[in-house]
Order: sequence, then structure tokens, then C-alpha cells
Amino acid sequence: MNNVREPLIRLEAITKRFKDLTAVDRVDLDVFPGEKLVIIGPSGSGKSTLLRSINLLEEIDEGIIRFQGSEVGYVTRNGRRHLDRPQAVCALRTEIGMVFQHFHLFPHMTVLGNVMEGPLTVRKMPLPEARQIALDMLAKVGLSDKRDVFPATLSGGQKQRVAIARALAMRPKLMLFDEPTSALDPELVGEVFDTIHTLADEGMTMIIVTHHMGFARELADRVIFMESGRFLAQGDPQEFFSVGQENERIRSFLNRLL
Amino acid sequence: MRFNIHFSRALAALLFLWALAGPCLALDSDGISRQAGELMAQGDLPGAVDLLKQIPAPPKGGDASAFVASRMQMARIFVSLNEADKALAAGREVLALFPDNSEAKNLVAAIGKQQQSRWFSVLDDCRKFLPALLKGTAMTLLLVLCTMLVSPLGGLLIALGRISTFRPLSALCWFVIWFFRGTPLLLQLFFIYYGLPAFGLTLPPLTAAVIGLGLNYSAYLGEIIRGAIQSIDHGQMEAAKAIGMTYGQAMRRVIIPQTYKRLMPPIGNEFIALIKDTALVSTIAMVELMRSADQLFNTYFNITALALAAVIYLLLTSIFTFIFEKIEYRAGIYEQR
Repeated sequence: MNNVREPLIRLEAITKRFKDLTAVDRVDLDVFPGEKLVIIGPSGSGKSTLLRSINLLEEIDEGIIRFQGSEVGYVTRNGRRHLDRPQAVCALRTEIGMVFQHFHLFPHMTVLGNVMEGPLTVRKMPLPEARQIALDMLAKVGLSDKRDVFPATLSGGQKQRVAIARALAMRPKLMLFDEPTSALDPELVGEVFDTIHTLADEGMTMIIVTHHMGFARELADRVIFMESGRFLAQGDPQEFFSVGQENERIRSFLNRLL
Repeated sequence: MRFNIHFSRALAALLFLWALAGPCLALDSDGISRQAGELMAQGDLPGAVDLLKQIPAPPKGGDASAFVASRMQMARIFVSLNEADKALAAGREVLALFPDNSEAKNLVAAIGKQQQSRWFSVLDDCRKFLPALLKGTAMTLLLVLCTMLVSPLGGLLIALGRISTFRPLSALCWFVIWFFRGTPLLLQLFFIYYGLPAFGLTLPPLTAAVIGLGLNYSAYLGEIIRGAIQSIDHGQMEAAKAIGMTYGQAMRRVIIPQTYKRLMPPIGNEFIALIKDTALVSTIAMVELMRSADQLFNTYFNITALALAAVIYLLLTSIFTFIFEKIEYRAGIYEQR
């Protein structure tokens, strides 16, 4: 349905190597505005590396990243490829929110402080404005009452919701979730899942790397199975999870998880 | 039976002694006093004391003047021999028999006062030395505060330089740390104050001292700060970058504030060492606490000056310890659940 539109992000043959391991191997990917993409696959298959390459936390060795049609992240100087200058890199990152497996909240700031840090320091907004955005985002993830406490007092699920609010406060066009529920106790997965679900319903474009098949089934417009740095298969969730999944490798992976 | 034999022998011995002592006792008290006076004139003070001792206590109701005079004389001799305890004993011998004897009372009181005034004299010394020592303390504090101002900044720069990916910068910072940690502070101070003039750069002592201490402590703090920065979870830097922060913003807003709590114990240690290390600048013509104490000691040969300086150093280090404990607690308050 989005085919007529320009992809929000387009990856062209991106490759990332760690010494002699090729973590991401000539991957092409288009993600359209509003699309919810879920990437699954065994650990070590390059899912997280791919995700981190998109917001330049990982420097790729080959390939092109296009954001809203224009090439981003890298320049060629003296025939060698370099990460773009810091301002350009940071500018791209402000458009792309990221949520980590281990939250990485700033422990020395209150919950409110965490969420308004981006608007305040990066966007250089005046305090009242940044504060208002932060309060709105905290309301969205249902943690308004926790705004003045430090992260150390929160449960894992609450921490992850604050982390989501922190990313949202930058008003990103794309959200990256890197195993957002993997570090949580099972009974806390639900609240984070619900928060991401709400976000999806609002039309946020998102790429989710996860082992949680609920994400794939309930949220995804498209599911990608990744292994050894490549996309082994992709499709809409219905056909992907149907019993008739013809790929032996994927079937055995799913059987182990489900 | 046996008892009787012993008894009779003892009695015989006593009678014999009595017979020997008789002539001495017979010697009248005036004679003894005179003899003692002659011995004293010859400078034989112990001999005089031995003679005077022989003047016995008077029988009840008898004439006491000779006894009293002899004991007082003994007391004066002992005082002149600087044997206050024996002098006191002689005075008390009189007071035991004649509690109202005013001469003995005065003597005992005077000796007591003299003994007490040994402590008073320490206090007097303190009062005498304190102004100079406080002046020195002010200089020590000035040095400490200047170094405390300079070295954390220098240390931060060195630490950031060390972890920089720009090779020449990190190599330079490595060299600075290597050099200033690897040579004695005393040598560095000498070089800056006595050595630099050879290169046409003459510095006033205070400037030289602050530069020397500042560089030395920057090198130490640099390593401490680098360790603290690198001990912060790498995810913090990634999270900061992910919301669009530059490296500088991430350091300033996210990483460095988290190092404060970890920095306080080792930096507190360094600053306490610094208080004592300022004593080294006394070698480059700075009059700080150590130098003041040394000067007083050499002028008065009085150890009180040194003891007082030690007390002041302890006071300073105690205050610093206390302050740093408080700061450490405040810096880590967000970690409490």
C-alpha cells in the first residue's frame, strides 16, 4: 500500500564486518512510512548490528543508507570512506529513536530529566517547552507519577517505558527497538508490549528486533527472518507463521520458540 | 625458745647501734647546721643533705625550730638540684608534724606551682608560636586551594586527551602522565624554581609552587578521572548518542556527572596527600606551615612548634576527610532505591 511512496529508510547492499566475521552481508531493505517491521532470527545473526547500522552506532564497511531519499552517514575523502562530520551524524540520529535491551537510562537524572534531556541539550529548547514535551511523553507511556524519581527505583518494565518516552521526546520519524523486552521479567513484558502497540497504532514507523513472537504476530506488517547476516525470508505475518512455512530452517527456529 | 634467742640478739644489735649513734645525737643541732653550711659553701650539696637528715624530729612538745630549719634547708638544696619531688617530700615531712607551718606550706605550694607551670609554659609557647604558624597555615591553604582548582581541570583535560582517538594527543597526554608521575615532586619543584631561570624564565615562588603541584596532581588526577570515565557503562554513551548528542554533550551531560561519586574517594585521597605535599615547597623559598614550624624550632629549640604544626596538619586533613565524605554521599544520592 505504501509502494507508491518513497521509503523512509532505504539500505542498499550494506555490509558490516567484525574482523573475519561478516555480521551484515549485503543487505537491502526499504522501510516505508508507517510500516512496522519485525526482524527475528537466532542470536548472532546480525539483527542488532543491522539495527545499529541504521542510526550509525555501527559504522558499516560497504553500502549506502538513504533517509528520506538522500544518502546519509558517510562521505568519501581521499578515496576512503569516513563517517560524516559529527553534526550530520547527530542530525540523523535526532530523526531516529532507539530503545535498547538494557534501557540505558541516565541514572543521575530523574525520570523527567531523562526524557527532557534530548529536547533540552540536543534541540536546545527552552526549559518550559522541553519540560512540557517530556511530561506529554511520560503521560503517553503512563508514568506521569514517576517523573521525579531516579531510575534506580523503577521496575524493568517502567525503565523501558521511560526509555521509550526519552526516544519519543525527540519526535523521531523512525523508532528502532533492539530486543526491548529481552531483559525483562516475563510478567513485565506486557506493559512494554502495550506501550509499543499504542505507538504502532499511532502510525509510528518502527523496526523491532525481538525474540518475542507476539510482536511479530500482532504488530508486524512484515516479518524478516535473518541468519548469518542475510535475510533468509520475509513476508507478512500470516503467511510467515502459517504451518505451511516451507523453509526448514525457519520452521525449526519457530518451533523452538513457540 | 628459739624466738627468745632471736629477740635477744636483735635487742643486742639495737643496743650496739644506739651506742654508736649516741655521740652523733649528742652533737647538737646547731653544730650540724653549721657543718652542713660549710659543706654547702664547698659545693658538696649531697653531703650537706646527708648531715641535715640526721637532725631528728623533735619529741612531742619539744623545740622544733632546728628540725624545721633543717628540712627547709634540704628542700632548698633539692630545689637548686632540680629535684622537685625530694624537695616536696622534705616540705611535707615538716607539714606532717606541723600542719600550720607557713614556711613549709609556702614552699610546697611554690614547688607545686612550678611543676604546673611546665604545662603553662607549653601553652605559653603555643600562644607565642601560633601567629607565625597560622600565617604559614594560610599559605599552605592557599597552595592547596590553588592546586585543587587547577588539578581537576588539568586532570580532566589529560584524561580526555588520553582516551581521544586522535593519536598525537593521546600520546602527549600519556607522556605528561608518565613524566610527572615518574619523577619526584621535589625534583619537579626544584626544576621549575631553580632550573627554569637557566632558560630565561624566572618565576616567583608561589607561581612556581602552584605550577609544580598543579602539574603533578593533574597527572595523578588524569589517570583517576580516565579510569572513572572508562568505568561508566558503554551503553550510556550509546544512549546519549542515540538521542542525537555529540561526543562533547554526552561527556558533559551524561558520562562525567556519573563519575563524580566514583571520583570522590580517590580524589579525596589525593587532596589529603596534597596538604602534606605542600610541605615540599618549603624548599623553594615558600614560607608555609612546615617552614614556619621549622623556623620556630630552629629559633627556640622548642619542639612545641613542631607538635603544634602536626596538630594543624591533622586538623586540615580531618576537615578535608569530612568534607569529601559528605560530597561523596551527595554525589551518589541518585543510586539509592
